[in-house]
Amino acid sequence: MSNNSSREVSFSDNMVKIGIITVCLAIVANFIPALYLWLVHGIIPDFSTILSIWSLAFVTFGVGWIVQPITYYSIMGVSGSYIGWVAGSVADLRAPCATMAQKVAGVEAGTPEGDIMSTIGVTSSVFVSVTIITIFTFIGAYTIPLLPEFIKSSFAYILPAVFGAVYAEMSSKNLEIGAGTIACGLILVYLLPKLGVSSIYMTLFVIAAGMLVARVVYTMKKKKEQDN
Amino acid sequence: MELKAIINSPGLWIASSFMIIVVVAQSIIFIRAAFKEAKNVGLTREQCVRGMRSAMITAIGPSFSPVIILVGLLAVLGAPTAWMRMNDIGAGRTELAMANAAASVIGAELQAGNFTIEAFGAALWGMALNNLGWMVVALVLTHRMAKAVNLLNKKYDPKWIKLMMAGATIGLFAYLLSGQLVGKGSPNITAAVVSAGTMLFISKALKKYPKLQEPALGISMLVGMFVATAIA
Repeated sequence: MSNNSSREVSFSDNMVKIGIITVCLAIVANFIPALYLWLVHGIIPDFSTILSIWSLAFVTFGVGWIVQPITYYSIMGVSGSYIGWVAGSVADLRAPCATMAQKVAGVEAGTPEGDIMSTIGVTSSVFVSVTIITIFTFIGAYTIPLLPEFIKSSFAYILPAVFGAVYAEMSSKNLEIGAGTIACGLILVYLLPKLGVSSIYMTLFVIAAGMLVARVVYTMKKKKEQDN
Repeated sequence: MELKAIINSPGLWIASSFMIIVVVAQSIIFIRAAFKEAKNVGLTREQCVRGMRSAMITAIGPSFSPVIILVGLLAVLGAPTAWMRMNDIGAGRTELAMANAAASVIGAELQAGNFTIEAFGAALWGMALNNLGWMVVALVLTHRMAKAVNLLNKKYDPKWIKLMMAGATIGLFAYLLSGQLVGKGSPNITAAVVSAGTMLFISKALKKYPKLQEPALGISMLVGMFVATAIA
């Protein structure tokens, strides 16, 4: 048992090490085009402009920078977080792929097996999305107009379709939590904007509702066990 | 050199390719580590390969969703920048909004006559600084989150912590799904309900066919999208 747990620790330590190194490299890569423009063409905004641009980014997206990596942690896990916050498309692409990899392998999220399968799912999704985006970078401008109108219009419904299917899959394992939480979600998303709550805080309210429903389910199950 | 020439120059292609290399290399390293560790926890190679196949099929649909905005980015920021930014953090809409906001700091606008090479420079800084935010937070918080969860598991009933994490995940997706439904019109509702129904049908009624489970989400998505389009 102690042997087993020390191995788990070393695996997760290894994941953290890989994650930290690769995210640092991504941070460097992130600035290379801007630096290239400066070093080769001599074009760079002056320092105060860069500062204003940063403040603009911070004001607009700053809450998202902090809140999103925390709120997505429960589904992404350690390695998934390091990959997802570099490669992007966490909600509509990485998380569904993690869920499916766990589902077909028959493992549960939040277990060592679940972490491994979600890592496999998220990395596999990166290979596919990079390939597709790269192909479309070269041929997209020519092929998109050639697609049938029916297919093009259906693109508008990708998000409700993905989220609907993922939600069904997640809820099928925790039926009570799924049913209770979507009811809360619909009500909160309808009501909160009328009270002037912005969307980034709305996420937190609905997540809190999900945890609360989970608590109720947990308490009821425990009571049932004790009664028996 | 002229703006159009610089934004599509070979030099900028090379400068933009570093991010793609890091993204792909990161996933190669992680997937190799995962396959290696799988043996230690008793996952078979077949389970891993099936998971990989299912994730790859699932990824196809959502990978297509940004191609329309990709074409928009290509037109305004050039192919190398569009390629890099669609493959890293920040949705297409976010990148476009940030590029425009940064250009506006020096009084320019995307796709306007005043979008000069200086405005392009500002846009590059804008997108880089915005993406930096997520990466730094992931860098600082991820291993701390892992520690926090370990601590919670020790302090409370692990059964409850697992259920709580499931509740948080379901809550997150309930928010994302509700956002697509509330005030969005009936085709969105059709797409979500049909897709969810198909998913449940495949994973419950057709449980005996493991081959169908791998593409389940991809199939459900397409059925939902096409039914919504057909009756819209």
